[in-house]
Amino acid sequence: MKILWNECRLEALRVFRNRYFIFWSLIMPIVFYVFYTKVMVQDVGDPKLWEKHLLMSMAAFSVMGSSIMALGLRLVHERNQGWTMYLKTTPVSGVVYFIAKMVGQTAVHVFTIIVIFVSGGLVNGISMPAIEWITAGIWILLGAVPFLALGGLIGTMMKSDTASGVSNLIYLALAVLGGMWMPMEFMPKLLQQAAQWIPSYQYGAGAWSIIRGETPSLGGILVLIAYTFVFMILSIQRRRMQEAI
Amino acid sequence: MTTIIDCLGVGKSFKGKVAVRDLSFQIEKGEVVALLGPNGAGKSTTIQMLLGLLEPSTGRITISGQNSKSKAVRERIGVMLQEVRLLDTVTVKEILQLVRGYYHRPLSMEQLSKLTGLDETSLNMRTEKLSGGQKQRVSFALALAGNPDILFLDEPTTGMDATARKTFWKSIRELAERGTTIIFTTHYLEEVEYAATRVLMINHGELIEDESPDMMKKKLVIQRISFLTDEVYRPETFQGLSVSDIRLDGKKVTILTGDADHLLKVLYELDLEISEVTVSRGTLEEAYSQLTDSREVS
Repeated sequence: MKILWNECRLEALRVFRNRYFIFWSLIMPIVFYVFYTKVMVQDVGDPKLWEKHLLMSMAAFSVMGSSIMALGLRLVHERNQGWTMYLKTTPVSGVVYFIAKMVGQTAVHVFTIIVIFVSGGLVNGISMPAIEWITAGIWILLGAVPFLALGGLIGTMMKSDTASGVSNLIYLALAVLGGMWMPMEFMPKLLQQAAQWIPSYQYGAGAWSIIRGETPSLGGILVLIAYTFVFMILSIQRRRMQEAI
Repeated sequence: MTTIIDCLGVGKSFKGKVAVRDLSFQIEKGEVVALLGPNGAGKSTTIQMLLGLLEPSTGRITISGQNSKSKAVRERIGVMLQEVRLLDTVTVKEILQLVRGYYHRPLSMEQLSKLTGLDETSLNMRTEKLSGGQKQRVSFALALAGNPDILFLDEPTTGMDATARKTFWKSIRELAERGTTIIFTTHYLEEVEYAATRVLMINHGELIEDESPDMMKKKLVIQRISFLTDEVYRPETFQGLSVSDIRLDGKKVTILTGDADHLLKVLYELDLEISEVTVSRGTLEEAYSQLTDSREVS
């Protein structure tokens, strides 16, 4: 337990020390948010609701990004640097190392969500019942699990460059297709139907329901759980194959 | 004597290519073993198999009677590997504290900093800001963190300056006196002479020598005589002498030999037009080529 705590604490510290993280996960989403609610205001009906909606999108966008990118790339990097090999010579188990990475990352997400909620809330003077803020925050935190699993899958890739390219591509595609940058209603009909099966859409949709005073749909939750399993099984399989050599 | 490492008929092939062949040896408690051999001889593969990082294709390895992958063994070993870079965006102190936490009875920070010569300033530095030599000291500290009985050190002094190397080998001797079993590889004969109590030599994946350092030294000490000459070199000039290699570079002739005194005498007796004669000690690599070449002939 002590090992797990130490490992998580250090993991979280390391993420905060990374300038790219601060820039991409905190500054970028907030800049986007300000830009789309203050500068480039679109005609989306109820402006107050749109401000809340987009704030959820941005928080989800940020947390999804650091789950996929930060976690996956760090795993690849540490394996290429031989650190993972060194750990195998110590009594610490691979499972503890892996869990610590996930938990450490989640601790960072708590911070990210708070920063984005507070700054976005202040910029547009958003007022919501406390219970909605909290449940939306918890949803974004827990809903990130499939993306952490996807990060773990990317973490099995051999080359840093490939992993970085692939994860960037997946990340941006998920953000756009999931309606995190633009509401789903503005997308082509076909895409709107397909979105039901895209994890990033269901992730965002849960938070969008919460701020509208609704509960996230059961179907959405099931889609997210299904993706978690798929990504986990794939990455366990890939790890097994790599170790067999 | 207690057998610590038992390696029996161990072999490893990668995709049909043999890296290590039928390796058998035992290492007793408190021995300081230098594992030598030319590049690509199979030293790293052997170490990785001893550590359980690679699965042997044939044979078996036990450490104190147990599988090297077992947690009990991992508690007792300390490792410095060439392939390992330090975790980044952490300070030296943080990484040491983290790794100390992995073990039941770790060495204290004070002991670690004393054994490795890491001072307070280096302890507070980020690992990515360290020089090559300092990084090696940190790797050494990581190897010692769990207060190991067995140390595996793969080219531990690469990148260290003279002072760092001195501190390092002094600590190794101290640990050896306390009964720590040590297995290391190196490119420097001085290090073998200074620390080793036994030398294992591997070539083409096979164990070709298992000797005391004194015996090995006789085989591994090689001298290099070089001089300038205007004369055209004739190979027969040096025939019948204990010459292992001759290199020509313009006017410069370099001869590798096991017996420099004798060869010099012959050179002067031949009355060749030579100048700027220097005699120096050859490197381990040069000695390997002598040793392995003579084997292949015989």
